[in-house]
Amino acid sequence: MNTDGGGGANAGEEPIRVMVVDDHPVWRDGIRSDLERSGIATVVAEASDGGEAIELARDSMPEVILMDLRLPTVSGVDATREIVAELPHVRVLVLSASGEEADVLEAVKVGAAGYLLKDATAEQIADAVRRVRDGEPVFTASLAALVLSEFRRIAAPEPGEPGLTARENEILRLVAKGYTYREIAEQLFISMKTVQNHVQNILAKLHLRKRYELMRYAIQRGLDRAPE
Amino acid sequence: MCSDLRFAGGARVSDPRATAHSPDEPGGKGLWLGILAYRLVSFAWLSIQALAWRDNLRNGWLAWGAISLTGIWVVVLAAKRRWERPAARAFDLASAAALIVLSGLVVGEGQVVGSDIPFFATGYPVSAAMMIGAASGVGLGLLAGLVLSVALALSRVANGTSLVDLSPGEWLSLGNGAFYYIAAGGAVGVVSRVLGRSAAELRKANEEAARQRERVARLAEHEAMGREIHDSVLQALALVNKRGKELAARQEVQGREVGELAEMAAEQAWALRALIQSEPREAPLDMVPLRTVLQAAVYGVTGVPVTITTVGQIWFPPEGVEGLSAAVRQALENVAQHAHASRATVFAEEEDESVVVAVRDDGVGFDYDEALLRREGKMGMLKSMKGRIEELGGTVRISSAPGRGAEVEFRVPVRRRQHEH
Repeated sequence: MNTDGGGGANAGEEPIRVMVVDDHPVWRDGIRSDLERSGIATVVAEASDGGEAIELARDSMPEVILMDLRLPTVSGVDATREIVAELPHVRVLVLSASGEEADVLEAVKVGAAGYLLKDATAEQIADAVRRVRDGEPVFTASLAALVLSEFRRIAAPEPGEPGLTARENEILRLVAKGYTYREIAEQLFISMKTVQNHVQNILAKLHLRKRYELMRYAIQRGLDRAPE
Repeated sequence: MCSDLRFAGGARVSDPRATAHSPDEPGGKGLWLGILAYRLVSFAWLSIQALAWRDNLRNGWLAWGAISLTGIWVVVLAAKRRWERPAARAFDLASAAALIVLSGLVVGEGQVVGSDIPFFATGYPVSAAMMIGAASGVGLGLLAGLVLSVALALSRVANGTSLVDLSPGEWLSLGNGAFYYIAAGGAVGVVSRVLGRSAAELRKANEEAARQRERVARLAEHEAMGREIHDSVLQALALVNKRGKELAARQEVQGREVGELAEMAAEQAWALRALIQSEPREAPLDMVPLRTVLQAAVYGVTGVPVTITTVGQIWFPPEGVEGLSAAVRQALENVAQHAHASRATVFAEEEDESVVVAVRDDGVGFDYDEALLRREGKMGMLKSMKGRIEELGGTVRISSAPGRGAEVEFRVPVRRRQHEH
């Protein structure tokens, strides 16, 4: 969505190492040709299910993984969790066909750096790959709406449970309405950088929530520590 | 404590937390009939005892008066279901206690304790404690028993024996009586609570079964819709396959023709995704998922790609669907025709008792000035859009500036339907 800061050709730079995880070979071929034509990325590995993705991620050292969620045997969410835990420098970008909300949210909660629908254009996908490689989350309008509903699900959070500040809530609403970071910055009279920081904080809180949930679950089950 | 009493007007108990128990439920009915039967039998026994010992009674008129009044009360209580009223139960307890005290006056002096003459008011008053236990649970049942025990002690005083003069044996007898009253009130309270709980569970199971049936019906509907869309998807795929092969066989391929095929595939993907995302969930009765409403409103809008985002699952009353849907559609068509936008978003969320739907675009924007728009004759569309939303009791807010896109926000009040879980 946000192409500021020069995407497309990145002359002189090494192409971004990408792994594509999808059970449809035709889709993988399409992504490979789109990315390689854009000149910013090269596909170093392809996996057709989550288990294979975990193994190949260790061996082929991708910087960015494009992950489908509906996979045979090991799901995309499980693979994302494993990969992010083991290889924290690898960015996982979810590319999902149906946008099944629970799965997408779960993937982001366990560490995916962003989420695009599969009908995104080749340029949008290439741009998203570049952005997640640079450590910027790909926070689409639909993802913002999902995150908002996740935080609103519990009206009165318990003390210690991470919630959103009024400003974060406002920014999430604007992202969910389709505003770009630049537009949000203009509307709220703050800098783009500040908007980005808020978005990063929101994601961090989402991860904290996940850990909080695991901890609460562990306490409920009478275990003395959260499952790894 | 009276808020726990759920018998006013014989209303069905609908609060599973209630410890008390309705006489209308199968388990409760048995309990109440049992208590009523006990009352009748013990009253009959009381009368028989009084008859048998009539020669030994002091103040005969008092005894027979009390028995007659008690008889009338028993009939009123049973025939008119008076036990459903808390005040009636309190009166019942008071009269039972009075009867106990009174018995001290009607039997010969010194005859109430440890004598071989049966004490005629022991059996009947217990039914008052039982009834309170059944209606209000263990706590009040025990308390009612305690009230009767105090009355029992007072009956000794009424009989002319000071409590300090009682022998250990007489104390024991008094204690036995008190224990009997208190235990009866408490025990019936426990039984009632157990019955109440199992009735609540039964009710829950019934409700769950009803929900299950509803879910199955919804799934069936969903499936029917699915078949229709799958049909059109299969047809489109077949066409893409056939046309694709034809195009591949040609020497020269027109970009437009390939584009048309791609467009067709994209449209079907959109429909299929809409189907998956509108998976039916627990719906409140008579409400429709807002997302589906918005998807229908957006379907077929050309000229600008539209994304729908909703914060959680939002339910909307069907009578408002037509108006809201038409207003959203108008806003989007306006964007498509005039805004030169690269994309539009339809955003929806619930806020307090309202549903908020915003149509946002990143187009050229405009100075929102109603007077100016009216002068230029551009109010028509806006007026009809506003009219539709105001008819639903809602409001429209428009914010825009040149070069900054536009946001049209509809806010429609939604009365939350009462639905019990």
